[in-house]
Order: sequence, then C-alpha cells, then structure tokens
Amino acid sequence: MAKRFNLQTGKIGEQIARTYLEKQGYKILEQNFKTEYAEIDLITRKKNEIILVEVRTKRGELFGTPEDSLNKRKLRKLHWNANAYVSGIRWSGHYRVDAVCIVLGQDNSAQRINHYKNVV
Amino acid sequence: MLIKVQSAANSGLNTIGIDVEVNVANRGLPGFDIVGLPDKEVQESRERVKTAILSSRIEFPQKKITVNLAPADVPKEGSAYDLPIAVGILAALTDCPIPEKSLFFGELSLSGDLRHTKGALLLALFAKENGYKNVFVPKDSANEAAIVRGVNVYPVENLHQLLVHFLERESILPLIYQPVEEVLTDDLTEFDMKDILGQEQAKRAMEIAAAGGHNILLVGNPGAGKTMLARALPGILPSLNEAESLEATKIHSAAGVIPPGGALLVQRQFRSPHHTASQVGLIGGGSRPRPGEISLAHRGVLFLDEFNEFPRSVLEALRQPLEDGFVTISRSQERVLYPARFMLVASANPCPCGYLNHPKKVCVCSLQQIKKYQKRISGPLLDRIDLHVDVPPVDVKELAENQKASEFLESSKIIKERVILARKIQQARFAEDSIHVNAEMKNSHIKKYCPLAKEVERILQQAGVKFQLSARAYLKMIKISRTIADLAGVPEIGVNHMAEALQYRQKNYGQEI
Repeated sequence: MAKRFNLQTGKIGEQIARTYLEKQGYKILEQNFKTEYAEIDLITRKKNEIILVEVRTKRGELFGTPEDSLNKRKLRKLHWNANAYVSGIRWSGHYRVDAVCIVLGQDNSAQRINHYKNVV
Repeated sequence: MLIKVQSAANSGLNTIGIDVEVNVANRGLPGFDIVGLPDKEVQESRERVKTAILSSRIEFPQKKITVNLAPADVPKEGSAYDLPIAVGILAALTDCPIPEKSLFFGELSLSGDLRHTKGALLLALFAKENGYKNVFVPKDSANEAAIVRGVNVYPVENLHQLLVHFLERESILPLIYQPVEEVLTDDLTEFDMKDILGQEQAKRAMEIAAAGGHNILLVGNPGAGKTMLARALPGILPSLNEAESLEATKIHSAAGVIPPGGALLVQRQFRSPHHTASQVGLIGGGSRPRPGEISLAHRGVLFLDEFNEFPRSVLEALRQPLEDGFVTISRSQERVLYPARFMLVASANPCPCGYLNHPKKVCVCSLQQIKKYQKRISGPLLDRIDLHVDVPPVDVKELAENQKASEFLESSKIIKERVILARKIQQARFAEDSIHVNAEMKNSHIKKYCPLAKEVERILQQAGVKFQLSARAYLKMIKISRTIADLAGVPEIGVNHMAEALQYRQKNYGQEI
C-alpha cells in the first residue's frame, strides 16, 4: 500500500519537474529511461548539453528533506548511470547531472521546487 | 560567504595553528563536507555541529557547506574542531562579528553544550607565544587554560551563550586564574612514615632519594614493608614548583587526564603501573603517540612494584629515558618528544620464594632459580639506580615494642620539611643550570659542585677498588653524598656523608649470591 503511494508521489513529482524544466527551455528527450544500472527520471537537452535529471519528491518535510535523500551512494549511482546513457547513444558532447527537489503539499501541488545543477 | 576561524592542533606537546575556513554557498546541492586531512573524529564532528546548532534553536542552513582545515597536509585529529566549525557556520549565517586574534577550541555535545577537551593548556600557551589575544574554550577546560597569563581565556558553556556574546558584546567574562597556595598536607597519602615500624635505614634511604630525586631499589623478603615505604613516599616529597608544575601539567593536558575543571598539578604524581603493563603503556606510543606512564610521572614518582615481574623488554625500554629524562617516540605519522624526568622507585624480592637471606625462614630456591630470577633485571638498568637498599624483615617482638613507641617516630611532615630544605639548597645551586635536583647532575656539574676533600676522595677510591665500582657507580656515590650533605645542611661533602653513601651502593642483586 505504502509503496504504491510513494510511487504515485514520484510520478506526480516527475510530472511537475517535466513542466518546470520545459518552461525553463529544456527539451525533454526521454522520461524514465532504463539503462543497465537503473532508471533515469528525465533526460533533457538544452543547447549543446545533455542534462540527466534526478527528481526527488517528498510530501512535506517532516520526515527529512528531498535533499537529504540524495546521499553519496545515490549520487555515485547517478554518475554511473549518466555515463552509461551517454556512451549508449554515442554522445561526445557535454553532459551533466541535475537534481530537482520537490516538496508536495496536501493538494499535490508543489510547495517548493529547487533545481540543483551539476550535482555529481 | 567565506569565514575564517582560527584554531590549533596539538601533536605531542607541540601546537600548530589551524585555519578553519567555512564556506556556506548558495549554489549547489545542500551538504556538509570537511576537507583537509580530517580523521574519523573530525569527520563525525559534522553530525555534532549540525545537531548542536539545531539545539541552540538556530535553523541549520539548507546550503552547501564546505569546511577546509588548513594547512591541508597536517593530519587533524580529535574533537576540538567542533567549536571553530560551528562558530564559522554561525558567523556565515548571522553575520555576527568574530573577535580578531582569537582561537576557538572545544568539543560540542548534541545539546550545544561544550565538553571538556584535552589540550586546552597547550592551546593557551600557543596563543600567548603567537600573539593571540583571546582563547575560547569549554568551561570545564578553562581553568587549565587560564594558567597562562597574558591571554584572555573565555569559558564557554554553550553555543548559544557564545552567539549572544558576539552579538551583544562581552557577556562572557574572561577567567582569571587563582593560583592554589602551597599547603603542607599530610592527609593526602595512604601511609605516614611514622606508621611504618622499624626499617629506620630504609626510611633514611627514602628520605635521601626524595631529597635528591634519586632512583631507588628496595629489595626484601615478603611482608617487610617495601610497598608501604614506597607508598609513603609522596608524603615526604615537596610540592611541585611553578616551572615543574607547568611541565607536568602540559603532559597531562596532552594526554587528556586532567579532570574537568582541573588546573595546575600541585602534588607530585605517584604512578604505580601493574607489572602487566605493556611497553607502549609505560613508555608511550601508538600511531598518534600518546604519553606513557613515565611521562605522566614526570617530576614525580614511578613506582614499579615487583620489579622483576615486568617483561624484560619493557624494563630495558626504561634505560634511555632514565638517562636522558625524555623519550622520543617515532612513528610513521609523526615523531613526538615527551619529557620523562621521574624518580624510579622499584621493589623486588631477592628470590622466587622470597626468603633468601631471611634470618629465620629457609629459602627453598635452587641456586639456578635465584640466578635466573635476579638476572631478569639487567646490569645496565641496575647501574642506573642510585640507591640500593635492603629491607630486612621486622622482628615480631620488636614490632610489638615499636607499636607503643610509634608516637615518638618521625612523621612524614617532619621529614618533608627536611627534604624541602635540601631541595631549596639544590635549587639555589642549580639556579643557572637547567637541572633541578642532584640526581640529574652530569659529569660537568659534579666537577663544578662536588669538589671532594682529600680524605673523602681516599675513602671513595678505596671503596671503588674493594667493591669494584664502575665509573658510573663512582659518580653515583658522589651524587648521593652530595644529597646527604645537603640534607645535613653542610656545604662540603664530608667523610661521614661519603661513608653513608657507600652503604647504598649496588650490592648483590643481579651479580652474585
């Protein structure tokens, strides 16, 4: 039950992040792309750079902030994942990994959105 | 926003300044990193600092915090960086001014209170030498730091109090050190000399040892009173003088054995490690070298009961510090010098069963056993012990008689007064030298301060031939006679002084039976 609820929260968050990034001028290439390691939430492109985005969503900050859930291990995983993706598509330009942290309110609207660039 | 806070790192008894640079960046994923060769304790300080700031009812910033401990190549250890890191973060958050020329030092608890931290005295000394004006240390460690005059030592209770101090200026008052007056206490030791019945010769030897800082070996049958004599020794030793006290307190501060709120050591230390002590425990060591028992006993007494039960390697390691008065501990990470000028008091049985030379009981040990037993202490080590004293068993009949007479025996207090007088004479004599007591005299000092009259020299030479004294033993006799003359208050060493000194020469132990 609880697991499915978290999954739903994540989906909502990803949708919010997607619209947010599109507004900022990012072109969405893929959503929930699976590499051999794990899933990349969003893959976007802006100018000549590919940006791989990890979206962290929390309902309220009572039990830790979304930023707290990005520990060293997760960041390392993101790094590997990003490498896997860019080599998979034979991309030779710039790329980076961003994190978008979203806190949802009671009505599933975003209370705050933070976009952290180049986190790994 | 970049903030720089000054602190210091102790390595052995040396201190070097450490700049704690704290950057609170608005960009980047929030996090808290410490760089600059921190060890595990320093890494863990992140959690303490974070919780302590939250406990002080200040919101911890969701920002990228980077702390750099410079110079980056010096390994940082210990919990003392909690305070400077916390102060740096608070300064970046609240824009509160940090007083200039200030050092911060101390461990935080999760509640935001400051805990007693080892090495505060060394920090204060460093501050004075390097022109820092203020030192902020935990309240429990402040007494220790306040010994140093000329530096404002601020006793800090908790983080919140410190912040108020910065913002509203001077709400914490610098601590002013109250020196403890020297008192002739006789209730601090377990035994008074007057409680020890009989053993007049041994007591006299203890008095000489105490007066001149000589090493002493007590050999005797079980139950003769060797341990009691040794335990009564602190009662006849003078208190530490200011310079000695500072030396000893520095070592204790570095070792972290000063209790919270403690200040200068006044009493001479009496350390009696058990004979299972390891080499590192006794001499000092570890990958970050810590002082051992010999350094903690600096300017005091190291009592090794059951001397020949100690492992041979441990005893042999004592040889160099006994001679030099310091020990250099070299490890891959660092090299540290700890002073170790102590008075060695050792006690031993003459043989495994203990009853060799007993007037009544029969020794059941074979010659081989006795030889093996006595050989556990090497010749060179015995040669470094000035006074060799036999402690014969006390006759039970005599004991009963003495029991009545015990009120007429000299108490430790009276002996202590004589010892203090003898030490004063020595202090005046060595005013220009870097030594304190007769036992520390080198050849040049002996030449300068112990001219022997013709007949005194004749006795010594005769004894030297008869007892086959080594060159070192020969000089030892001069040193002991010097102390005996000092106790008598006589400027020249007389025949009687030398004759008494010769009683304490190295006897059979370890040589022949």
